[in-house]
Amino acid sequence: MKNQWIEFLSGKVTVRVSGRGIERFLNVLIRNGLNIWNVKRHGTETVTFTMRLADALKIRKYAREKECSITFLKRAGMPFLFKRLLKNSGFIGGAILFLLIIMFLSNVIWGIEIKGAKPATEYQIRKELDKMGVKIGKVQFFVDNVEGIQRNLTNNIGNLTWVGVELKGTTYHLQVVEKKEPEKPEQLAPRNLVAKKKAVISSMFVETGQKKVDINDHVQPGQVLVSGVIGKEGQTQQVAAVGEVWGETWYRSHVELPLETNFFVFNGQEKRKHSIILGNLEIPIWGFGEPEFKEYESDKNVKSIHFLKWELPISIGNETLRAREEVTRTYTKKEAEKIAIDLAKNKIKNEVDEEAIIKDEKILHKELKNGKVILDIHFKIIENIAVGQPIPKETPE
Amino acid sequence: MAKKWGLRVRNWMAQKMDLPQDVMMDLPRITMIGQIHIYIENHRGLITFTDKELRLLLKQGQLQIRGNSFVIKTILPEEILLEGKIDQVLYINENPGGTK
Repeated sequence: MKNQWIEFLSGKVTVRVSGRGIERFLNVLIRNGLNIWNVKRHGTETVTFTMRLADALKIRKYAREKECSITFLKRAGMPFLFKRLLKNSGFIGGAILFLLIIMFLSNVIWGIEIKGAKPATEYQIRKELDKMGVKIGKVQFFVDNVEGIQRNLTNNIGNLTWVGVELKGTTYHLQVVEKKEPEKPEQLAPRNLVAKKKAVISSMFVETGQKKVDINDHVQPGQVLVSGVIGKEGQTQQVAAVGEVWGETWYRSHVELPLETNFFVFNGQEKRKHSIILGNLEIPIWGFGEPEFKEYESDKNVKSIHFLKWELPISIGNETLRAREEVTRTYTKKEAEKIAIDLAKNKIKNEVDEEAIIKDEKILHKELKNGKVILDIHFKIIENIAVGQPIPKETPE
Repeated sequence: MAKKWGLRVRNWMAQKMDLPQDVMMDLPRITMIGQIHIYIENHRGLITFTDKELRLLLKQGQLQIRGNSFVIKTILPEEILLEGKIDQVLYINENPGGTK
């Protein structure tokens, strides 16, 4: 048997011959060295067989001599496949284009990840990278290689000890080690510490400077607590006074709290509506009809759609309707008092430093009027009362 | 008479020299595989081919093959491979018929 695969490569044709004297025609073909196979008889005057594509053209000549009519039925093999491929060259073009696009896109920088850097340093690195042309969306061909980027970054950014640049696929991974510099001590100008409000000193902690007051002293605002001038008489020296002076201060606060309060709460029921907004026209697409609750608050969110960088005149609106209920809160007189005191405390805490301690509170005045509890409270608070005040420059002698 | 002589010499040679007869005598060599294949070498061309009958011209006489669903798998100037169900292989000798 002949190798069908070789015939497939060179191409083969199925031929139908009809007429008289087909056998003689076949003999002629064979004697002239044409290869034929799979000869089948169909009826009395028809025969089909397969032959090489290369021989198919020669057959006409013999057919004319023998008065047989010839029809080509089936074409198979590579030449025909190739022809069809050419006919559908759009697909091939598409496939090639696809591969090219994939190739192009895989050579584009899609991400830059910086690890181990403080936000400030990261920003600096990003700016430096931008300058070098390493940006999201740039093609890698036109960008310095990894070593170059690494060298550039270490040279141009002062506070980097080391930066490791690695290109993984389409993303640059930067591992950064920052220089750790000791924090510079705050440079303070020579100053005194003075009281910021009226107080009785309860405790003192002076780091530098000359103590001017004592515990249990009563001080006025602006009074010098710790002097920045130290040393013996005549050999004085100006320094920045550092320290804490804790003093007892007094606050008075006035609170009013109604016993009955009305307010609205959400009960958790909600209804969502979605719509597409075209200019001024709003087309609901989901969530129709009125909500089944009467009291509600609506919350509307409009998101516009972007195409590349342009804003389209289409936007998507989400509306959430939340059911609300009116609730009345009632306190007894005792509860109201307690809550009023807490409120006052919170108010005071907002006014003073965080470190301050509420030492004592005393209700000065209590009243129930028009359904309201009215309280006047006196607070004793221990807080740091020292603030810096620069020493006025004395003209040198 | 001379033709007959030549035939005799060749026959004698084939016998005495132990040569295959088909080479010497231009006889067909037929190989059959069961009923399904028949391979004939040394034929001289097709005479009839239908799906029930194949007639081949030989150097002397004809060869008739009967059966059904015949397909010629390969055909070359002197060889033919036939596929199908083969029932009979028949030699038809040239009828000297005209002799009276």
